[in-house]
Amino acid sequence: MSGKKNKKILLIGGRSKAKSMAVSLLGQGYQVTAINDDYEDCLKLAEIHGLKVVFGNGTKPYILEEAGAEDFDIAIALTSKDADNLVACQLCKKKYSIKKTVSLVGDPNKTEFFYKMGVDSVVCAVSAVTGIIQQQAFIDELTNIIPFGQGLVQIVEVRVPEDSPAAGKKLWELTLPDEGIVGCILRGDTTVIPKGNTRILAGDTLVLITGNGQELNMIHALTGR
Amino acid sequence: MKFFGSNKKDNYTIIIGCGRVGANLANTLSDEGENVLIMDESNESFRRLASNYGGLSVVGDGTAFDQLRDAQIDRATAVIAVTNDDNTNIMVAQIAREMFNVQKVIARLHDPECEIVYRELGIDTICPAVLSAKEIDKFLGVLPVKEALP
Repeated sequence: MSGKKNKKILLIGGRSKAKSMAVSLLGQGYQVTAINDDYEDCLKLAEIHGLKVVFGNGTKPYILEEAGAEDFDIAIALTSKDADNLVACQLCKKKYSIKKTVSLVGDPNKTEFFYKMGVDSVVCAVSAVTGIIQQQAFIDELTNIIPFGQGLVQIVEVRVPEDSPAAGKKLWELTLPDEGIVGCILRGDTTVIPKGNTRILAGDTLVLITGNGQELNMIHALTGR
Repeated sequence: MKFFGSNKKDNYTIIIGCGRVGANLANTLSDEGENVLIMDESNESFRRLASNYGGLSVVGDGTAFDQLRDAQIDRATAVIAVTNDDNTNIMVAQIAREMFNVQKVIARLHDPECEIVYRELGIDTICPAVLSAKEIDKFLGVLPVKEALP
């Protein structure tokens, strides 16, 4: 908590997102300020204990100055308009030298563009949600997928079922996508770091590292599903 | 897709936002015989166009990549962002410059304070308030105010 105490986070726009994020961040010991251009939303936000609220348009420099923008460590843009989020982040970055900017983006096609324009971290709610739903819907043997590096790399935990074509085979006998490796085998209480001639057994839990959206191919090759 | 030989440099202007400025400009360019495409979110806005307007009008979102591609932005010699929202204009201009390498990009901004965001990208900007102030100053016969924009 001590390190976080001095970290200041600026939330720009967003209704329920700003509210739940503010509560969560304050709970973790950060100093949080929210800017919102809807007066009713501001009143709601102001009910949160410890949250500083500024009423105004967070894409305007004079409002950001009123909020003391140059003192913040992280700025998070949560408005529903992509253009507003982009300009807010660019202002925070270029004019107020905020080190890390995070932006929500509605249009999945704009994620790359936002990165190109200097936003440090871009979160697309649409693709995140569809991704999660797809994982849940199509891969029942799957325990967990953790995305890394903006989702370019995935760490996947998967169990090998009895009827898997991979069960009983050595690793080198399997045809796996180039963009993936079996990083670790969890077998009962033991952990095996696999080599080419390590045999995969039914009931093993495998930790896979995959890139380039190959996780589904990888899972298919190892579980047959 | 290209209608003309790749060497032939025809002027093709895309205008985003069919308000008073956008429609006026579209009419003028069309009268001068240039290729013009004007895009707006609302079909109603195109009523501002003159009856003899000879360009294209497209209902669409000027910040959507696929719609810009459909409008053949890769062929555009100029993109002009004149919607009623400054941030949208900034984003349109940045998309045209950074994603589609359009040579001439102009954005109309009511509030020039966000300049730092687009200055280094070489986007030209027009600020009505600054222009008005200059004109009024001219009428008053005093020396022009110190320029607020470069």
